[in-house]
Amino acid sequence: MRALCWEGVNDLRVQTVPDPVIVNPHDVILRITMSTTCGSDLHFIDGYVPSMLPGDVIGHEFMGVVEDVGPEVKKVKKGDRVVVPSFVACGDCWYCQHDLYSLCDNTNPNAELQAPLLGYPTGACFGYTHAFGGYAGSHAQYMRVPHADVGCFQVPEGLRDEQVLFLSDAAPTGYMGADFCDIKPGDIVAVWGCGGVGLMAQQSAFLLGAERVIAIDRFPERLKMARDHIGSETINYVETPDVLAVLHEMTGGRGPDACIDAVGMEAYGTGPGYLYDKAKQTLRLVTDRGQALRQAIMAVRKGGTLSILGVYGVMDKFPIGVLMNKGVTVRTAQQHGQHYLPRLLEHAVKGELDPSYLATHRFSLEDGPRAYAMFKNKEDGIVRAVFTP
Amino acid sequence: MDAGSPLGGPATSGIADALKGTLSRGAGKASQEQRRVTLILGGVLLTLGLRRISFGGVALALAGGALLYRELARRSGQAGAETNMAEVARSITIGKSADELHRFWREGGYLPRVMGHFAEITETDMDQAHWTVRVPGGRSLSWDTQVVESRPGELVRWQSLPGADLPNWGEMRLRPAPGDRGTEVTLRLHFQPPGGTLGAAVARALNGLVPSLLVGDALRRFKSLAETGEIPTLDRNPSARASTA
Repeated sequence: MRALCWEGVNDLRVQTVPDPVIVNPHDVILRITMSTTCGSDLHFIDGYVPSMLPGDVIGHEFMGVVEDVGPEVKKVKKGDRVVVPSFVACGDCWYCQHDLYSLCDNTNPNAELQAPLLGYPTGACFGYTHAFGGYAGSHAQYMRVPHADVGCFQVPEGLRDEQVLFLSDAAPTGYMGADFCDIKPGDIVAVWGCGGVGLMAQQSAFLLGAERVIAIDRFPERLKMARDHIGSETINYVETPDVLAVLHEMTGGRGPDACIDAVGMEAYGTGPGYLYDKAKQTLRLVTDRGQALRQAIMAVRKGGTLSILGVYGVMDKFPIGVLMNKGVTVRTAQQHGQHYLPRLLEHAVKGELDPSYLATHRFSLEDGPRAYAMFKNKEDGIVRAVFTP
Repeated sequence: MDAGSPLGGPATSGIADALKGTLSRGAGKASQEQRRVTLILGGVLLTLGLRRISFGGVALALAGGALLYRELARRSGQAGAETNMAEVARSITIGKSADELHRFWREGGYLPRVMGHFAEITETDMDQAHWTVRVPGGRSLSWDTQVVESRPGELVRWQSLPGADLPNWGEMRLRPAPGDRGTEVTLRLHFQPPGGTLGAAVARALNGLVPSLLVGDALRRFKSLAETGEIPTLDRNPSARASTA
């Protein structure tokens, strides 16, 4: 089959690779119908995260049709049209049973190698680094999905592919980030970042009952999306140097009840990350990447919630004292998609959630390298590049 | 494989450093037998590393290759390392009862899957098994084991029989975990040098490597198999490189 492969830093190529096959009894093989770029991909494309190997098939946000099922698969059937979260979860371990699916104990084949980096290993992510499992990704014609009964969610009739695609990663990540905020009537939620995850976090905050949502980014077209599609109020931090003062005034001097950081690693793909793309220096990256998060920490009201969706490495000058003295609750995770997908599909069916506007650009798989170049450089107002393999 | 590629990380450089330290500090004097064991271990590490095809695997393969190379390049055998042994123990919590886990471990076919990343195991009867560890060049290291103690819900203990290439014993201990967490499982492996003279260097290498790569992986494989009925794997994982997995 054809697949988009990482061959080295800033070197993506479409290659012919072996077709995936059923290996374990709970596997299915999916024919990919749609797959999309994520800002976190840019991190290994640029060479900032280790443990990629040349030839790795990338991509982790996708949907497809079931082509083949393993002998122990009970619920999923051949021909099912499904959407699948990017993190692989077994459904049986203590973490899965406590709805902490991305922390699954049983899906990362490289758990022993990842453990020293984090203290304990996480679940695996499709199409990402070998520390996160090394499973082949979704920018391909076919894909093996382990633990299919846990990860495959049947798409209800009447929903188009592009309405469902982002329920694989951007939507559950954003929804989880808003869920972390424990939103009460009257709450104001501020979201840093208007990429796919940030926009979904804003929309989810409204779905979960926020009174107002304030979005912070620097790209006018993305801020417009936040206003037009979601109803967020927006701050362009390039035009508004003192974001904290503006937030202070917009919230009657209280500060937002909850702040969501949807920048982090996605910073390379959306919002403030554009600056770092130019900088190309790891030290600068680390320093600058902290700014959005530090701003969120300063902005959040006393006793409020800081919800971190952006992915970070090791940060220096982390203002823990501000969090401590203000009594801020910090919540964070990689997406627990299996927990949120049923709810998200319900919202989609009711017409309350339609992320299809994120799919600003379509490409064939063969155009993969060009699509990522555009995505990285934010050419032509691109938010997400979508492949139809 | 390019050692300069961004494949390193704390996980693997630790292993490589441990091995490097071992090699530089390593007894300047080694008997023929010790050299043979070092060669075999180097080969095992290389094989494991190549089979894993991961960032750790690459480092491991390099480390194993270095160990092999050192021994092969050594011009003359030197004698005199101290007797040393390697023993490692690691624990994991598995969401099954101690009785179930004991039954799984003793069930035919379970051990070969749990240890499949390391050794090929043929169970000759309920208590005896034949272990083979393949190394490059068509060589292999093998031994027979006998279960010497088995108490349901508590432990299984085994040891190698006389004539083993690398004499060893091991045990799997079970104790209930608090709340709904299942059972705490401790796996202990103890390697004894052939003839009682495993070199200090090799023992140190074993001490650095075995916990993570053999015991840690074995425990995770046991847990995954017990909890889900399968072991996560990258076998036949599509990629644009020649498949060695």
